Amino acid sequence: MSQIEFKNVSKKYGQDSVALEEVSFGINDGEFVFLVGPSGAGKSTLVKLLIREILPSSGVVLFNDRDVGLIPQVELPSLRRKIGVVFQDFKVLKSKNVFENVAIALEVADSSDETIGNVVPNVLGLVGLSDKTERFPSQLSGGELQRLSIARALAHEPDVLIADEPTGMIDPGSSAEVMQVLDKINSLGTTVLMATHDFSIVDRMKRRVIRVENGRVISDKNEGKYNG
Amino acid sequence: MDKLWKNLLISIKREKFLSLSTLIIMTITFTVLGFFLSLIVFSQTAVKYLENQAQITIFFKDDFSEKNILSLKEKYEKDKTISNVNYVSKEQALKIFTDLNKNEPILLESISANILPASLEIRAKRLSSLSALAVKFEKQDGVEEVRYFKDVIENFRFWSNLYHLIGLGLVLIFATISFSVVIALIRMTINSKGEELEILKLVGATDVYVKRPFIFQAVFFGLVSSILSFIISVVWILSLVGSKFFGDIKTVFILPVVEVNIFVYLIILGVILVLSGALLGYFGSLTAVKKYLKF
Repeated sequence: MSQIEFKNVSKKYGQDSVALEEVSFGINDGEFVFLVGPSGAGKSTLVKLLIREILPSSGVVLFNDRDVGLIPQVELPSLRRKIGVVFQDFKVLKSKNVFENVAIALEVADSSDETIGNVVPNVLGLVGLSDKTERFPSQLSGGELQRLSIARALAHEPDVLIADEPTGMIDPGSSAEVMQVLDKINSLGTTVLMATHDFSIVDRMKRRVIRVENGRVISDKNEGKYNG
Repeated sequence: MDKLWKNLLISIKREKFLSLSTLIIMTITFTVLGFFLSLIVFSQTAVKYLENQAQITIFFKDDFSEKNILSLKEKYEKDKTISNVNYVSKEQALKIFTDLNKNEPILLESISANILPASLEIRAKRLSSLSALAVKFEKQDGVEEVRYFKDVIENFRFWSNLYHLIGLGLVLIFATISFSVVIALIRMTINSKGEELEILKLVGATDVYVKRPFIFQAVFFGLVSSILSFIISVVWILSLVGSKFFGDIKTVFILPVVEVNIFVYLIILGVILVLSGALLGYFGSLTAVKKYLKF
């Protein structure tokens, strides 16, 4: 049974703009999957559907056998804690330091100070930011910002980590560091779904690759490459 | 709680002008509310006072004997619409007249008890029954004249009712303005925190976690402005109570039949204002959060 499943999912924005058309695929627990394709292919739409930021026009998105579209509003925070998300533009709070940026993910769930005190140093250690807890986002490099964003996504020990173009705004050296962190997280058992159009990373990692173009899945290969 | 206070201070710093105007408008609203509530209470107290003073005086003809008058007194005392009957004999009338005109010796020289009429002073239980009683007394044998000041009291009652209506209207207008201002304030705060709210949502914040600071902010403004308006109300009420015009008022009627000490009234007024402040802030922010926080 797949942990994540898209069944005949279509998404239209307005009357004419089709973002996804009859997309079907499944992702198993513990997998590392690349979602590749050109800009506007529908990769971000797939990510948004999974965290219920948007609803499908037709079809079903399942997470742990539950129809994401039918999850009641009050249970959405709980869904979003099970699915950690990392974005291309980091989305960190500029007014908070590294420690506080991770702690916020636990504070919103009313975690105790003791839990925060234990979890935050752990995840910061996992992404290699233990020595920068007091720094503010403006004092970090692009790669460090992305690792901070990953640390925050990991605070709730999510079942799945979704990374939407995580290396899109950072240099190749930093990209390699970010990929090392994602690989490490995956090896610890977390499913990783990464949307990217960075072919060098995809080709080097030799993981499952789902290719999306014009809103359709055109290939799905284990140990695939960016171009098939 | 510390975080809520911290968020509140940041928000006030960011939106200084809007925060100040919100505070001023809400303070005006609650001051107007306090003013008109007090106007109602004081005019009610004045009406009660006038009602208590309102009496019908029946002057009797000289040939109508004291025995007849006293039997009438006894009869009227049994009347359920009458609260009190007082007999003023010719001698007592002379004494009252003498006391009132003690500085006019020439006038007093020409007056004797015989030329002053004996009278019955009658107080009705309700102001509204004065007219009917007066008509009844006029038909009574031996009555020379019936006097009462119905118009003065009814005029006062009319104007005080009119003030109540105007007051209620103004309170509603200001409450609507305050409500809109609270919504505008929360909307501005939501807009200025756009990215932060989006991030909170992404990391799995609950609705309550996101809404709490906005509601806290509006309730804070409601409480501060209502406390300010309460202080203003206390100052003007106490200065009014101590003034010559009002004399030394110690009790007021908060309801037509409930009389309380002036300080008890001030406490009740404070509770009403503070409660209104908290409720206006709470419901205003709840409406704004519902409308502008797409969460």
